[in-house]
Amino acid sequence: MRTLVFIPAWNEESPIAEVIAGVRESLPEADLLVIDDGSTDLTAERARKAGAVVASLPFNQGLGAALQTGYLHALREGYEACAHLDADGQHPPAEVARLLEEIYANRADLVIGSRYRDPGKAESDDYKPTLSRRIGTGVFRFFLTLATRQRFTDTTSGMRAANRRVMALFSEHYSPDFAEIESLQLAVREELRVEELPVRMLERAGGTSFLTPVRSAFFIFKGLIVLMVGQFRPRHVEAER
Amino acid sequence: MTALVLGATDPKVHLTSQTRIIAAVLALAFMALVLELIRRDKLQERFSVVWFVAGLGMLVGAAFPGLLTLVADAMGVRDTNVALFSIVLLFLLGLALNFSVTMSRQAAQITRLAQERALEKAREQASSGENGRKAEGQRLES
Repeated sequence: MRTLVFIPAWNEESPIAEVIAGVRESLPEADLLVIDDGSTDLTAERARKAGAVVASLPFNQGLGAALQTGYLHALREGYEACAHLDADGQHPPAEVARLLEEIYANRADLVIGSRYRDPGKAESDDYKPTLSRRIGTGVFRFFLTLATRQRFTDTTSGMRAANRRVMALFSEHYSPDFAEIESLQLAVREELRVEELPVRMLERAGGTSFLTPVRSAFFIFKGLIVLMVGQFRPRHVEAER
Repeated sequence: MTALVLGATDPKVHLTSQTRIIAAVLALAFMALVLELIRRDKLQERFSVVWFVAGLGMLVGAAFPGLLTLVADAMGVRDTNVALFSIVLLFLLGLALNFSVTMSRQAAQITRLAQERALEKAREQASSGENGRKAEGQRLES
């Protein structure tokens, strides 16, 4: 199956080459697209040198817009499956291959890589989150589960695999600044099969998390509003299903 | 207490002719400003309609103060000033919301434009890369 793996990257010049090499090794059949979200460093150059095709957004548009670029490309170029992972080296490409297996086997339309092995716990063997992150994770997990009536543990995971149904939906409707959570809500509302798969994640290879306590609080507040509004959005379920 | 009672029984506050003249002059100046902005391409016609309507409203209000009293009566407001301020406030609120909607639409359009451009460049790179590889292969063959 023709597969596109895309990597949204914003100022990730140090880890990007290694991530690309890892994807090439674990998914040799897949085409690779790096979406450079208006980076001001050498991300685009290094990605190109590492052999990836690079789509450079002329200015920083946010993670959602970057991811949507990938879905749009996958849809237009006729890829049957696509997957994306973070550019900071947290996501082992071998795990992305496992997500894609679910899509190839048509067991789900959208597969999320969850860093939590035990859905009940907010920690995993390789992952020790900070307090503010734990609170945020808990709040989002609770409200997303409430909104979708489906169990989600890693609501903000940036490691996902999808089929053409999801590409069609996300290339048209993808919130530019609250991408991860709203997209899950949207996919479930559109009656797509969304599945979570526990995966192994690594420590960040480069860059620092953007979350500080104040930002976290604001992030959570914004997220709740987005989720609430999302419950009232019109549905556009495809006629064929 | 007496002031309150008096205020309640005193039916209308009329505009003096001085305020009416000032209001009319301001309205005309405002409409002239809008016209000038259009003339200099600083304002698009489609955004100017609402401002002309606002200017005309000011002018009409200044010319026929009785209208304002009618409106205030219709709203069930004793004080015409309160009626005037509520109407202006609601108008500005609606306009601000309208601008937010316009801005959101334009933000979405800008995002899509950026995405299209980025993908176009990527396709260019991909096709030139393929050609490059082919050329390399031919060189190796020959």
